[in-house]
Amino acid sequence: MSARKFAADKLLWETLGRWKRLSPELDRIQFLKTVPFFDRLSNRQLKTVSDIMFDRSYDTDESIFEEGQPGAALFLILDGKIAIEICRETSTTRLAVLERGAFFGEMALLDDSPRSANARALEPTRTLALYRNDLNGLMHRHARTACQIYRSLASMIGDRLRSTNELVQMKISADTAGLG
Amino acid sequence: MSNGQDFEEKERERKTRRRVFYTTLATLALIFGGFLIWKLRILILPIVVGALLAFLFRPVKDRFRVRWLPHELQVLCSFALIGLVLFFAFNTLRKHIPDEEQKLEFKVRLKYKLNERYRQLVAKLPERKSNAVTALIEKEVGPLMDKVNQALALDPNERDLFLKYAAGYNGKPPIQSKFVDYFRANQNTAEYVIPEKTPTSAASSTTPAATAPAQPPAADESRNLESKISAWILAPLIFLFLGFDNGQIRRFFISLVPNRYFELSLTVLDELDDAIGRYLRGTLLECFLVGLTLTLGLVLLGIPLGIAVAIGVVSGLLNAIPFLGTVIALVIGVGYALIAENVSPLIPGLNPNDLALYVLILVVIVHVLDDVVFQPFVLGSAANVHPLVVVVAIISGSLIMGLWGMLFAIPAVVVVKTAVATFFKELKDYRII
Repeated sequence: MSARKFAADKLLWETLGRWKRLSPELDRIQFLKTVPFFDRLSNRQLKTVSDIMFDRSYDTDESIFEEGQPGAALFLILDGKIAIEICRETSTTRLAVLERGAFFGEMALLDDSPRSANARALEPTRTLALYRNDLNGLMHRHARTACQIYRSLASMIGDRLRSTNELVQMKISADTAGLG
Repeated sequence: MSNGQDFEEKERERKTRRRVFYTTLATLALIFGGFLIWKLRILILPIVVGALLAFLFRPVKDRFRVRWLPHELQVLCSFALIGLVLFFAFNTLRKHIPDEEQKLEFKVRLKYKLNERYRQLVAKLPERKSNAVTALIEKEVGPLMDKVNQALALDPNERDLFLKYAAGYNGKPPIQSKFVDYFRANQNTAEYVIPEKTPTSAASSTTPAATAPAQPPAADESRNLESKISAWILAPLIFLFLGFDNGQIRRFFISLVPNRYFELSLTVLDELDDAIGRYLRGTLLECFLVGLTLTLGLVLLGIPLGIAVAIGVVSGLLNAIPFLGTVIALVIGVGYALIAENVSPLIPGLNPNDLALYVLILVVIVHVLDDVVFQPFVLGSAANVHPLVVVVAIISGSLIMGLWGMLFAIPAVVVVKTAVATFFKELKDYRII
């Protein structure tokens, strides 16, 4: 009797588990786990973050944001390719091409300073957007989660600053050598 | 090359078809939506009230967070807490809302006391001024008193009902003999106040009863009441389900926005939510402070706590209507002060006979406090609306929706003003216009 009950329970939980695995929400959480920005978060925290993210789809050549616009959200690429470009009067310089798992527009999480480049979809692309004020709201409701995201953001900006310093150092050394 | 041209041609046709499809769909949706709104207009007010309450109490819901409790249960708990507070507030208020017997008694007492005060005023005048001033008062205030007496006079049905209640009716104890004496005295008052006008007033006092419009059938009234009650059931439901919402509604509407306006719409919605929330919650706090100050003042003047709270709650709520709120507070407060008896003010040196004057001074002080202290500190510049716009909005609101319209007129103006200003600012920032 108990063995039959156990088998029935097992079947029920397996069915529930299969159903759960199929849910797009779990897919999103699995995806978020692969993004370095959120790698310190637990599954429960990722679920909280996933709940406040917006799913957006872009066609080929569609603009995500333009240089000079106030920034409001960070974007994560779920599928597709994004080009980060700077347009000048006569030419367009492509700074980077980002693919699945990459993120861009992260400075918008700090303030609404203007975007420094354009972001354009190179093919049909799906993104997840994290809005600055939603992250601020998370600070009040799930302070630990928000703190960990801000910490990742800070360490990433620190890395970039270090890289920039190294580049400047290299340029100064090259200029000095050229002058000598 | 020709393949590419074909593709472009097809894409252009597809875009045209899509535009036609969306335009037709939007037009149909607008017509159908307009028709539905017109047909279900009885539901608009309960929905607005429910949504407004949910919006106002959202910070309470957000504060009430227990990590291990599911979201729905948290919302239910905060809803129960708010419901309990509202229940006690309204229950206190309801106890002091007069029933049929109390209304009749109130009319009789008010009429008697007003006439008593009027006679005292005329009798108190110094000898040498007496003739000239009495004539002036009788000429100016007399007709007004006459009209007040007419308005407060009981019609024959009400007189019969009062006499029934005086003897004990409908399971209620008999009315105090003092008030029955007032009733008898009132029967002569109409002839006493302005003797030369007595025939007219006597004639007109019978007129309302004679020409009173026929009452609508009781069945119609009860049907109207039923439909109104069933519509108002929506308000707590809307409040509850908006409380359950964890941002899904906002996400749904944002998902409808074209990509180009995604960040713009997020920013606009957020700024609107912030500005309107600050204004509405500020107004609520201001009303609470006004009600509390008035209640404290009335208690200090010796008015019983229950009645002081009831007057404070009503005046505080109506304070949301600029200008008119103060006038209504004044009418209620002075009205009660005129009929109040055996009042002993807590502040020494005050004469209980001048209670109406003290209430008048109190309402003026509360109004000044509201203008000088509460509004600037609580609302700041959130309600920066021109006084002319305020007046026009209140009148328009009253014409469209009566008292509710007056109550919602200024919040509606603030919402529209903030929405337009924020929208234009953000459209410029995002270089769309």
